[in-house]
Amino acid sequence: MRSTLARRVALSIIAGLFVLAPAAIFVADAGANSLNPPQTTRKNSGTPNSSYVLKRHGVVIKYGDKYITYSAPPSSLDALGQALFLENCASCHGTQANGVPANGTNGAYPDLVGLGPATITFWVDSGRMPAADPRVIEAPRRQPRLTPNQALAIAAWVNSLAPSYPLIPTPHLKRANVADGAALFALNCAACHTIEGDGDALAYGTYAPSLRHIPAFQVVEAIRTGPANMPRFSGNLSDQQVNDIVAYVTEYIQHPQNPGGFGLGGLGPVAEGFVGLLVGVGVLILVSYWVGERS
Amino acid sequence: MSDGATTKRQQKAALGPYGKVGKALNELDDRLGVARGGRTFMDKIFPDHWSFMLGEIALYSFVILLVTGVFLTLYFVPSSAIVTYHGSYLPLDGQKVTQAFESTVNLSFAVRGGLLMRQMHHWACDIFVGAIVVHMARVFFTGAFRKPRELNWTLGVTLLILAIANGFLGYSLPDDLVSGTGIRIAYSIMLSIPVVGTYLAFFVFGGNFPGTAVIPRFFILHVLIVPLIIIALVSAHLFLLVRQKHTQFPGEGRTEKNVVGSPMFPVFMAKTTGFLFIVGGVTALLGAFAQINPIWQFGPYDAARISYAVQPDWYMGFLDGALRIWPSWSFMAFGHTIPLEVTIPAVVLPGILFNIAFAWPALERRLTKDHEIHHLLDRPSERPRRTAAGASVLTLLAMLFIASSTDVIANFFHLSLNTVLLMMRILVIVTPILAYPVTYLICKELQGVKGGGKRKTPNLVTRTEEGEYLASATPPYRDDRPHEIEPAPVPIFIEPEPDEPTESGVRTVER
Amino acid sequence: MSEHDAHRTPVSLSSVSANDPRLQPAAKNPGTVEGVIAVTFVVGALLVAGFGASYWVNAKPWILGATLGGGLFFLGVGLVAWGKYLMPRGPFVEERHALANSQSDRDAFAAAIVERGGGVLKRRKLLGGLLGGGLGIFSVVALFPLLRSLGPLPKGTLFHTDWRAGTYAVDQTGRRIHHGDLSVGSIVTVFPEGTENTDRGQAVDQTVLIRISNDNFTTQKGRESWGPQGYIAYSKLCTHLGCPVGLYEQQLQLLVCPCHQSMFNATNGAIPQFGPAPRPLPQLPLYIDGQGYIRAQADYDQPVGPGFWERA
Repeated sequence: MRSTLARRVALSIIAGLFVLAPAAIFVADAGANSLNPPQTTRKNSGTPNSSYVLKRHGVVIKYGDKYITYSAPPSSLDALGQALFLENCASCHGTQANGVPANGTNGAYPDLVGLGPATITFWVDSGRMPAADPRVIEAPRRQPRLTPNQALAIAAWVNSLAPSYPLIPTPHLKRANVADGAALFALNCAACHTIEGDGDALAYGTYAPSLRHIPAFQVVEAIRTGPANMPRFSGNLSDQQVNDIVAYVTEYIQHPQNPGGFGLGGLGPVAEGFVGLLVGVGVLILVSYWVGERS
Repeated sequence: MSDGATTKRQQKAALGPYGKVGKALNELDDRLGVARGGRTFMDKIFPDHWSFMLGEIALYSFVILLVTGVFLTLYFVPSSAIVTYHGSYLPLDGQKVTQAFESTVNLSFAVRGGLLMRQMHHWACDIFVGAIVVHMARVFFTGAFRKPRELNWTLGVTLLILAIANGFLGYSLPDDLVSGTGIRIAYSIMLSIPVVGTYLAFFVFGGNFPGTAVIPRFFILHVLIVPLIIIALVSAHLFLLVRQKHTQFPGEGRTEKNVVGSPMFPVFMAKTTGFLFIVGGVTALLGAFAQINPIWQFGPYDAARISYAVQPDWYMGFLDGALRIWPSWSFMAFGHTIPLEVTIPAVVLPGILFNIAFAWPALERRLTKDHEIHHLLDRPSERPRRTAAGASVLTLLAMLFIASSTDVIANFFHLSLNTVLLMMRILVIVTPILAYPVTYLICKELQGVKGGGKRKTPNLVTRTEEGEYLASATPPYRDDRPHEIEPAPVPIFIEPEPDEPTESGVRTVER
Repeated sequence: MSEHDAHRTPVSLSSVSANDPRLQPAAKNPGTVEGVIAVTFVVGALLVAGFGASYWVNAKPWILGATLGGGLFFLGVGLVAWGKYLMPRGPFVEERHALANSQSDRDAFAAAIVERGGGVLKRRKLLGGLLGGGLGIFSVVALFPLLRSLGPLPKGTLFHTDWRAGTYAVDQTGRRIHHGDLSVGSIVTVFPEGTENTDRGQAVDQTVLIRISNDNFTTQKGRESWGPQGYIAYSKLCTHLGCPVGLYEQQLQLLVCPCHQSMFNATNGAIPQFGPAPRPLPQLPLYIDGQGYIRAQADYDQPVGPGFWERA
């Protein structure tokens, strides 16, 4: 009798663990999100473009040289852009793209005026906007819902409201030096995106996305505009340096040379530990199970 | 011709019944007196149970570490001197790196077979420590550490510590971004020790971090001093094993006064040498197909650079996890700081764990008041308290290990990093406490199972021509059947069977 | 030879017939097994030879590893199978003799130590004491130079950085940072001018410079003048274990340590908000000079990096 009771107790504890652990995770997750981190610059999240700041202090940093060329979206697309904006974006960002929707309540939604065309095209081309769920802290990358030309049109219209920078960049990777790019990547990018570019979870549900499948011009856009929680790299990285970083990302991060075999997902020692223990030690234990007797 | 043949036959006769081998052994015995001991050694019995091979995995991966390590020392330059890299890997071209880093990249890319050797060395290390842990768990859960083998248990725990330490030292040598971060953390941990911490850190590193002394110092520790100590202790470990003879599981014909199994020569020798080859083969296959520690992707260490998601090798993971989840309780008073947030998880915690491991045989003697000598092993379920305690500690270590990848978990399951960390704080405390009663109850359950350890045989259901179903039992599996043959001492001489062909695998000798 | 074996425990099978069941192979049909083993040996030998050949022609690492690993594996499997299936299957047994000696042997051993040694010491207590003292001094003396010469004493080096009043902040290439360089939400790692390529500069002096707003920014009472035009500088060394706190989340305004995820509130004097770090990151007081360059007002007002005993 005692042993039946014991078995029941043991089984219910195990079953309870399996049920309770995920439940507790989700309860705690809700709790953590209600912990309010300071948000002093949320309103600021799309602060005016850098050239404005630079000019105010009497400094002009010239963007656009033989490493990266910038182009403004053609104004011929303005009308198309406005129509697309009203259809896809205005419900959150307002009909004037100033973050105030039609019902008048001020949004937690950013004012897009003066952010620069590169900001608009980055968010739309990466499929983050129009957002699937506007309440998400950081909209995830997904299949774009609008074509590159449509994105360009929206950028053209928003830019027509208040012309601003950065413009839409085109890197010239043939002129890049990947060695400099690798060093700059380690100093400026690896702290969030990891040294192998896989990205990882950051504070309070935010995350640094993987860099494995991002076209070169979007890498420039992200560096120059600083989307969401990513810092903005403006005057402290020259176009030449940005071009070097992009070359390193597109040539080596996205196509790592793995002369030593399979790259194990770039997770480093954790994945290596699992392989070492499960495959290495595991296989050898199986072998010893064969070598020895089992009685 | 015939004269020559006769002389040869005569010479052969003069050599005695065992030919040249016998002659050589006679000469050897004249000088060293090895015949008795050698014969006894040939007859040493090794139990056949598979779990006795786990320690051999550790031993043979250590052999591979030595062989591949010797290869690596031929090309590695243990120096922090700064050079400019100009090699085959473009993204590093022109970067200022230490000679340690440069030589590691070069031995990976420019030395024939260098990358394979480096990867085999690293995989063998991961396997080495893992096999030690598994072997230690076997010894623990079966009670093999009990009197008279406490000393060997102590040697084993020391070997585990040395293996972990040497793994960390070796991991640090390439001076890449990831390992450099690890050294930085090790420096800070030393710094955190009350009173002597700053002196300790300055003496080990030859000054403030990073200094130029640490790579050469770690190198000589890693390739000479620690391996020598490991070799000495492994020798002592094996000597004690031979002196005290093996433990064995209870069973047919096995008592406290004997050992049943296969003799050293030739059966065990063949199996174990083959196993050495297999360990080498698995390591080489891992080295061939699974890339490990691609330092060229990490780049050289520079104290201002950092990568996210940096973790130490798996055997240091529990320390990293403890450092992550321990709250920020620093002690600052009387003009002094004790960084408890570092000292407790990184110094006190491993100190307690390893001291418990060292003290366990004595602790158990005291708790159970069992001072007898034991050569027969326990089944884990027969000692529910010990098994539960071991499971509890293993759970704690596993949880701490998982806690070292909170960011990976959060990223994978799309959870908040903060949530995962809070969860791990709870799980690290709760699961080891739960593991004890759960394991205890499972052990109690297993004790009640009849014929535990024996596999159930299928019932054969047959349908007769009339459509009638018949169930019949099948005989037990071969391994589960009691031995039909009585165990006997290894025979000294084997009589040849006249006019019988020799059975394959059996050598008959003339007397 | 019977003389030689006299020391052995009585052996019931000192000489057996080759037909003894224990000497038979475990395999039911040894011929087949022998064939299989022969195949594994041949495959193993071929692969090992292939390893030699691929080494000779400098083949790719995975080919080297596959041939070497496969070769060793097959040879090993064959050898194990030979031992397991074709060699005498046993079971064999070995007697286990008690390791302990008789009580009289133990007494004799103990007496040798206690009586002989104790007698010597009792008669010459002075000599024993002197020798012990000498050896004790030697051990201390031997320890002293060994430890002392390993490195310099810490002295004040942990308390100060190379930032001084008026030091220019430069990036890793040595370029001075101009107040127009960063826009809001930007970050750059800076060093005191002249240390950007030194070990000490990178390991101790490294500082994160972030721009929080366009206007002067006060992170804490008493630091009103430290953040000109929204430029804020914190030590990049985590107060937990000294990793570089290079991770800046510009919307959350958090500086996060990539090693153990301590989170520091950038707007509020880098007070730790989550994780194991116990203290705020020290803040570097800045000013912008007449030409618009960012410079330090003074060194940090407290030791940077992880805690240690002498730290107040």
